[in-house]
Amino acid sequence: MTDAPLPEGDKAVRRPSRLAAALDSDFFYSFRRSPVAVVSFIVAAILVLSAVFAPWIAPTNPFDPASLNLMNGFSAPMTPNAFTGESFFMGTDDQGRDVYSTILYGMRISLFVGVAAVLFAMVLGITLGLLAGYVGGWTETIIMRIADVQLTFPSILVAMLIFGIAKGFTPVEYRDQMAIWVLILAIGLSDWVQFARVVRGATLVEKGKDYVQAARLIGRSPMAIMGRHILPNVLSPVLVIATISLALAIIAEATLSFLGVGAPPTQPSLGTLIRIGQGFLFSGEWWILFFPAMTLLALALSVNLLGDWLRDALNPKLR
Amino acid sequence: MISFVIRRVAQSVLVLLIVGLVAFSMFRFVGDPIDNMLGQERTQEDIDRLRTQLGLDQPFPVQYYKFLEGAAQGNFGVSYRQGRPVSEILLERAPATLELAAVSAIFAVILGVVLGVYTAIRRTGFWANFIMSASLIGVSLPTFLIGILLIYLFSVELGWLPSFGRGEVVDLGWWSTGFLTESGLKALILPSITLGLYQMTLIMRLVRSEMLEVLRQDYIRFARARGLAARTVHFRHALKNTMVPVITVIGLQLGAIIAFAIITETVFQWPGVGLLFINAIQFVDIPVMAAYLMLISVMFVGINLIVDLLYFAIDPRLRG
Amino acid sequence: MFRTFTAAAALAVLAPVAQANEFTWAVTTDPQTLDPHAVNSAPVLGFLNNVYEGLVRRGKDMTIEPALATSWEPIGDGEGWRFSLREGVTFQDGADFTAEDVLFSYQRASDENSDTRSWFAPVSDVIVVDDFTVDVMTTAPNPIFPDSIANWMIMDSGWAEANAAGLPDKENGNFATLNANGTGAFQVTAREPGLRTVLEPFDGWWGEVEHNVTRAELTPIQNPATAVAALLSGDVDFINPVPIQDVARLNGDGNVNVIQGIEARVIMLGFPHEAEALKYSEDVEGANPFADVRVRQAVAHAVNVPAILQTIMRGNAEEVSQLVSPAMRGYSPSLAARPEFDVEKAKALLAEAGYPDGFSFGLKCPNNRYLNDEAVCQAVTGMLAQIGLTATLDAMPVQNYWPELRADNYDMYLLGWSPGTFDAEHPVRFLASTPNEEKRLGSWNFGGFSNARVDELLPMIQSEIDDTVRQAMLDETAAILQDEVAYVPLYVQPLVWGTGSNVSLTQRPDNFFILRWVTVDG
Repeated sequence: MTDAPLPEGDKAVRRPSRLAAALDSDFFYSFRRSPVAVVSFIVAAILVLSAVFAPWIAPTNPFDPASLNLMNGFSAPMTPNAFTGESFFMGTDDQGRDVYSTILYGMRISLFVGVAAVLFAMVLGITLGLLAGYVGGWTETIIMRIADVQLTFPSILVAMLIFGIAKGFTPVEYRDQMAIWVLILAIGLSDWVQFARVVRGATLVEKGKDYVQAARLIGRSPMAIMGRHILPNVLSPVLVIATISLALAIIAEATLSFLGVGAPPTQPSLGTLIRIGQGFLFSGEWWILFFPAMTLLALALSVNLLGDWLRDALNPKLR
Repeated sequence: MISFVIRRVAQSVLVLLIVGLVAFSMFRFVGDPIDNMLGQERTQEDIDRLRTQLGLDQPFPVQYYKFLEGAAQGNFGVSYRQGRPVSEILLERAPATLELAAVSAIFAVILGVVLGVYTAIRRTGFWANFIMSASLIGVSLPTFLIGILLIYLFSVELGWLPSFGRGEVVDLGWWSTGFLTESGLKALILPSITLGLYQMTLIMRLVRSEMLEVLRQDYIRFARARGLAARTVHFRHALKNTMVPVITVIGLQLGAIIAFAIITETVFQWPGVGLLFINAIQFVDIPVMAAYLMLISVMFVGINLIVDLLYFAIDPRLRG
Repeated sequence: MFRTFTAAAALAVLAPVAQANEFTWAVTTDPQTLDPHAVNSAPVLGFLNNVYEGLVRRGKDMTIEPALATSWEPIGDGEGWRFSLREGVTFQDGADFTAEDVLFSYQRASDENSDTRSWFAPVSDVIVVDDFTVDVMTTAPNPIFPDSIANWMIMDSGWAEANAAGLPDKENGNFATLNANGTGAFQVTAREPGLRTVLEPFDGWWGEVEHNVTRAELTPIQNPATAVAALLSGDVDFINPVPIQDVARLNGDGNVNVIQGIEARVIMLGFPHEAEALKYSEDVEGANPFADVRVRQAVAHAVNVPAILQTIMRGNAEEVSQLVSPAMRGYSPSLAARPEFDVEKAKALLAEAGYPDGFSFGLKCPNNRYLNDEAVCQAVTGMLAQIGLTATLDAMPVQNYWPELRADNYDMYLLGWSPGTFDAEHPVRFLASTPNEEKRLGSWNFGGFSNARVDELLPMIQSEIDDTVRQAMLDETAAILQDEVAYVPLYVQPLVWGTGSNVSLTQRPDNFFILRWVTVDG
């Protein structure tokens, strides 16, 4: 907005280089200047990469029941098992699964659920929020009343409802995969309202401003006005919410698992692992809880910190 | 203004009807109450008879209509599990949840706004950055785990605070309060922290983010240039203008506190409506589940209404 | 030092009027009613055993002993039983106990509104002979009748009628749902459902007092970790159950004791005997491999029960070969051997049955009903995978589980069974008889197992008075069920209670907590 308008033809050619220049200068300068951002980025990158490449990194495949030996159960980290003599880097859980491998595979599921749920919630929430705020009238009333209904149902309940319905329609052989999609749908659906309400609130304010009125007067289409003019102005609160939502989505999955509607125990997510592990908090098998919990903490914390920095760095008003 | 309120109330009634409908259609997926109500030695005949008695054999619209009819008269039916009127049970449990939610909300709002303003003003300071980072640890772990870890540390290892329940309560009419006894106050500490931690962090981050934007605005710069005291600038001008999105979120979070009380109450065996609801799910106690959802709906609709009205009050631009 | 101080301070806060022997106990499920005839479930009957009494009761070793009846004897040729009632017994409200109350309690407990109705299926009539003699007439000779009514609790007819609680009301509840008036050692002085129930000793109790409890409070705590924390921090004196994995930790804590025993509940795998086809298979269509006894045998040999007991149960359970545990009456000692764990044999049996590469199917499992149920199912899934049987495990809360089983939505399922009569006849009646609605048989036989000889033996067992003959028939039944692999019994679920170290009590194998056997030190 501070740049002088460029002739149309010129813009198409010169834009990429401008973007690259921006990346070169401001963005990376700010990144290098922030040790928290650098460390968070490295931690998040390592975690994400090891999740993505879990099948190649993990010593065992914990999702294959035939490969498990129950007698390996409860091995302490780096200590030979009393029955089988096998030794595991992070120990094993009650089923004899290698905790390290299980965390890698579990993180894949957690990340996938989290990212997909937030994307779903964000797209849905922004779209409906813009519509409600900009169009107003009955559209607004209907959308915001749906939001009320949605808010009325605690996310836990929404998940249980969707779980129940989906269960009724899915044959059992697809249920393992289904659980993941249901989680995404459930967490996403319980999150969109936050985006919609904030976007609507900000849209109401922006709508009355002169530049939007001007854009209307010169006959720009509502889609263009919403997308090009209003959207960039509501992105700041959306980013705050999206940041926390990603971590929240991963944690929401864990909470649902605590209530018995999370990822199946045969293909556990980080949250399911923590739910299982908390049963061993008092019994001395600390590693079953500790390692998954620390991984979740590292993941959520680095994402949150990175989001924090990203928000400040991308906000032109704060430069 | 009056027509606005009337319109909103009419819409709210519609919302409640829809909630009831969704809730009711969902119950058939939660499970079957019959198995919990009959013992091991039941027969199919017993099952059928009880089903008829409870009206579960009737078509869905009939069940829904009967529920609405009762609810309109303030009668939510009788709990399958306790054999007592649901309204009586809810009244008995509501104080526990409301006290917990109130303490958590106050904790979250006060600490959230104070820390949010502080971290915004001292944006580059060490402590501000430390608070920002440290606050994230609390929201990077699931609530139930935080609760259990708090119990482990403060009840089992240190023995300072009770591990479950509300402690000694005092009855003031139908309202039972834990505010008047030492054990009651002690019992509030861990659950309130567990419940309010996430909201506190969210409010803090939002206040900070909004503050930072407002502090950049011309009128603040102008106010500064006029030589107004920093405190006046920050609190009279800046904080006031960050309040629109903050109030939205606080309003939303009040509801979330009540909803998330389900988890906290389960972990701490806190005898509120959240625990009642989880029990009801386990027992498929349909009347209790339905009444709980309606209650929560009424509350949310009320909160939404208040938030909308506050919008009008705070931001004059919206009045047009 | 510091810790004892704070614990004492906490106690002082909890109990401002310091009474000598307060006892707080935590359970996972609050008794849903105080009406002894409304719900036939362990949490209700177990709790009410402290308040109400039956004609007979079970002692510390589960033997039947006199309670409100001082003696009993068969009438004639097995036409019924005559009970001589105890004199001078009063209810907690002061009313006298007489034969009228027994008749009233029979009518109340056998009404169709009562959940305890099935106990009285063999009864044709109850006759009041005089104030302290009652005849219970049975349709056929019934040698185990006194054993089957230990939980039939006697209610005062006058109290029930005065308070309009003549019949249990499950739908709306009534006075007896929230109040109790028994003849037992303790009376209910406060009841807040789902929160706490307070018991105090009944001064007018007829029996000899063994306990020294002055006030007891029952409080439900659902989350197992919270319950363990409450016990460790001294907030409660007793929890049931202790999560299996925490046994070692609690044993190592000086302030806490763990009491372990073998429960009556047998955990087993069930099959869809009657089904035409598997419901959840990807590779078998239109056929039901589990209808073939060799496939069921293969399953029995593939499950490594000792490994499950060693790891998941941490050595706290015992394997079992029959539908009842060795502690039950009518157990068959000659058939004590479980099918040995033998992967090769299991594979051979599968090959013989025409499934050399195995097949896939769906295993249903509850995840909040039995101790570590989900973990056990997971382990079973892994073990069956070793012989090529790939199970898709679907674990769910129990409120969803029973409807699924009733709708036949399973290819294999996990079931626990605890015989209410502590007799081997009980599971035969409920799990192994051909389902028959009219005769109230096989009501938990989800898979529809059916064997003509078993059906023929059951009525004979039920009416046989001679113990040796009866045992021979039970042995024959048990052998058939083993040969046919009607179920795969896995292990007997352990009982694990945790108490403060200043508490001594007796653990009864039916998992009932009997308060009058509790003593608290200082």
